[in-house]
Order: sequence, then structure tokens, then C-alpha cells
Amino acid sequence: MNDAVIQLEDLALRYRLARNRVTSLKEFMIHMLSGSLEYSELWALDGIDLEVQRSEALGIIGRNGAGKSTLLKVISGVLKPTRGKRVVRGRISPILELGTGFDYELTGHENIFLNGLLRGHTRKSIEAKVDGIIEFSGLEEFIHSPVRNYSTGMMARLGFAVATAWVPEVLVLDEVLSVGDARFLKRCHERLDSFRAAGTTALIVSHSPLEILNHCSRVIWVEGGKIVADGEPRDVVGQYALFAGDTATAALVASDLTADSGIAGSPAQPTSAGKAPKATDSPTPDPPTQRQTTDA
Amino acid sequence: MRSVYQYRDLIWNLVMRDLKVRYRRSAIGFLWSMLQPLLTMVVLAIVFSSIFRFDILNYPVYALAGLLFWNFFQQSIVVSMNSLRTHAYILQKLPVPMAVFPIATVLSGLVHLLLAMVPMAAILIYTDHRIGTSLFFLPVSIFVVALFTLGMGLLLAPLAVFFNDVVELVTVILTLLFYMTPIIYPKDIVPDRFQAFVHYNPTRSILEIFRDPIYFAKIPPLTHLSLSLSVALIAFVIGAFAFRRSVDRIPFYL
Repeated sequence: MNDAVIQLEDLALRYRLARNRVTSLKEFMIHMLSGSLEYSELWALDGIDLEVQRSEALGIIGRNGAGKSTLLKVISGVLKPTRGKRVVRGRISPILELGTGFDYELTGHENIFLNGLLRGHTRKSIEAKVDGIIEFSGLEEFIHSPVRNYSTGMMARLGFAVATAWVPEVLVLDEVLSVGDARFLKRCHERLDSFRAAGTTALIVSHSPLEILNHCSRVIWVEGGKIVADGEPRDVVGQYALFAGDTATAALVASDLTADSGIAGSPAQPTSAGKAPKATDSPTPDPPTQRQTTDA
Repeated sequence: MRSVYQYRDLIWNLVMRDLKVRYRRSAIGFLWSMLQPLLTMVVLAIVFSSIFRFDILNYPVYALAGLLFWNFFQQSIVVSMNSLRTHAYILQKLPVPMAVFPIATVLSGLVHLLLAMVPMAAILIYTDHRIGTSLFFLPVSIFVVALFTLGMGLLLAPLAVFFNDVVELVTVILTLLFYMTPIIYPKDIVPDRFQAFVHYNPTRSILEIFRDPIYFAKIPPLTHLSLSLSVALIAFVIGAFAFRRSVDRIPFYL
């Protein structure tokens, strides 16, 4: 019996590229009649196998366009996979962007309700939480002004406060912990920690190695729609830093490893210390060629 | 469908927001809902009772009842078609059941229809039109009309996402449909060779379910009721089925 909270088997997702896409009924008819319906395809995800257990915090790293956000969208249920199996056990709370669905004409208070409802909560449940949300966002003074007068930081704070007012089984964060001032960021991190203590599974996409190292118990590296490394945060972050030419991070991770394990590893070979990552032997896979899956 | 029910509070919120946004920037607010069909009716009454002259008793009531139906039907369909695109920024970030948007559109159209019943009643009284107990049948009529409209909205909303010329195409078809339906003219002025188009037009059947209790002060016969209810049900089933089939592909085209 598998009790993983998230279970993905051979998951794949295909985008049809806009370049050749038929956007009007007229064009569609013309192409249908002339038999020249052609699509240029991109496999944004290509054979993802992943299991995440309860209260794990999984970091997802990789370059822009590697498929990280698409993976989160499929897990969140925003996109349906083209192929493969997706199982998520329990309530999932996706934060793919802070303040999704805010209506700029409505007040902060009205937006708390709108946003909570869009997240599938009932009016009653939001009413019970609304004071806590306002308190957490620290926007008491402005809560009855229209959101269009808010600064980006204020909107992000309100967005995070609404999205995390309920403790979910699975929390999905896409690059959202980089906004807000230091004090608010600290409160966000405290809230994440309390979620994990309560058994929430977290998926975190971030380009900040420190954030990944601080929060994650496991990290996967996604490249060309595939998982190319999966293992201990420091191993995978170190490998990726080497691949991406981020020598500062590579050195930092390597020195940490040396300090912890007592093995004198050279900074250039971080994987030689600690456990070897599961999925890859080579720290430099050749991703660009994998991404260009084009079919006629 | 179960998940749509779970989001019922959201649907209500969207309806209220639509009403608020629609009237926030207008000086006469909610009155506009009542005034707009009334003014159209006045124009039609002037044109058709003094210039073209239809042989129809109390033309203002006939035209207003038809126009209330048509405004609801036409606006709900056009707004439903755009509703998924309008909310693309949400549908790309949160797993919201997409049917809530066309449903909220039709419901908010219903609120307008109910508001417009107030001037309708005023005209009935002012013109001394026969008022019967048949008015109590109107909730059934409105249900049939709404079911039919929602079906069409659900059918067309995904199409409008996949192909960006569908909205224009449907707008033209709606104009054609408007003149094929006896809304501003009496049914019997249609020449014999075109009678079939009007008679077998399902929109006519749905229209009469709504207009007959008001204009003729009579409850539609059971045969007519069951026919239009079937038409509405079929439209709804086809719409819901098509919507369900398309839902997975919609986010890729937004």
C-alpha cells in the first residue's frame, strides 16, 4: 500500500506551440480542408516519476523553462497531464503567484473573500478566518481601501496571508517567498515551519539556493522536462550550482559538506562527499536538445 | 457538477461583484437595468405602431416581453463566451471549476431580468392590459429560459477559447436569430414560405413560454410546455457535455 501524499507516474505534458497554432475557426476550416493541420509540439514535462511523502519539503530547482512551473501546475490541478498518472491525497493549496484573482476595484477586505472563495473555501469558513488574515498581513489600516492603491509588497502580503490561512495537506509555492520586507518574510518562514510541524507536505520552486537549503528536506533538479537529480538538498543544489556556473553557491555547499561530514572534499566535486544522488552520474546533462521535441 | 456545488459561494460572489462593478460607474445605477429595455420598447412602439403598423393589440407589451427575453438570452451568451478568457489569469493559477463562470454569468443575467420585470409590470398596469393568474407561471418560464441559455453558453464558451473568431460569428448568427424569432413582429405576418423557419426555430418556442403568460395572460398548453422544456434540457445536456469534454484543454488556449 502506497501512502505517498503525491504520486506521479510517467507524467508528461505537451504544449502546442503558438507559432503554428490555428487560432481562428476560419483558419481551422481551411487547414482541415487542405489537410495541412500541423502542430509544433513541446514536451514541457517528459516522463516524471515522483513520490513525495507526508511532511516532506521538496525543493525544485532548474533553469528557466526547465518545466518547474509546469510541474507545479500539473500537481496543483491547473493543467491536466497529456500522459501519466497524478495522485494527490488531501487538500492542496497552490500559491503559483501571490494575489491571484485580486480584483483591483475591490477593497482588501472584499478581496480576502474573493480569493478565499476561488481557493474553494466557503463564505462561512472565510468569515471565521478573516480577522486572522488581516492581522497576519499587517494591513489593518488599508483593508477597506481598493487594492489598486496597494503597493506590490502589500498585495503580496495579503495574498500570502489568504493563501496560508488554512493548513493544507500539500502546499505549493512557486517563487513567491522573494517579496515583502525582512520582517514579513520572517513571519512567512515561521508559518511554513508551523505547517510542516503539522504534517503539511511542501513543494517549493525557488532560484535562491539559501531558501532551498533552509527549508527543504529533499531537492529535485528538473531539466528539459525530466528529473535529472533527486536527493539531499546540499548534494543536488551543489551539482546544479556547478552546472549553472554558480561558483559561490558551489563553494558554499562544498564547504558546508566538509564541515559536517568531516571529509575534506574539493569544492569542485561536491558529490564525492555525502550520499550520491540517485538519478544522475553526470553533473552536466545536455538539456537543450531534450527540450526540442518537435512533431509534424 | 459536484465540485461546482462546492463553489456555490464563489458563484454568488461573482454575481454580486458583476452587479456592483456594472453599476458603480453609472449615475442612475440599478435603474439602468429597468430603463434600457423600456427605452428600446418606446422606440419600437413608435416605429411599429405608427409607421409600419402591425395589426397587434397593445404592441408595447408584446414587444417589451419579447425584448426582456431576448436581452437576457443574447447578453448571457455573449458574456458567457468571453467569461473564460476574461478570467484566464485565474484559470492559469488556481484549479477553479471553470463552469462557475458561465453559470455566474447566466445568474447575473437573471437578476437583471427580474429587475426588468418591475417596468414590465408598470407597463401592464399603465396600458390596462389583461392581467391573469398566468403570471404565477412565470417562474417555470424563467427556469426553462435560463436552462436553455445556460446550455448555449456552456456550448459556446470553450469554442470561443479555442477559436478567436467564434465571438464575431455568433454575434452575426444572433442577429439573424433575432429576426427569425417573432420578437418585434407578430408571427402571422411571416410569408408562408418562411413560416417553417420561424416555426421550427427552437428559440421561438422558448420565447413563447416566457411571453404567453404575460401578453396573452394564458398558461402555455402542456404540449408546448413539454416541448420547450425538452428543447431546453437537450440544449443544457449538449452544452454540459461539450463543456466537460473541453475543460482539460481550455487552459492551454487561454
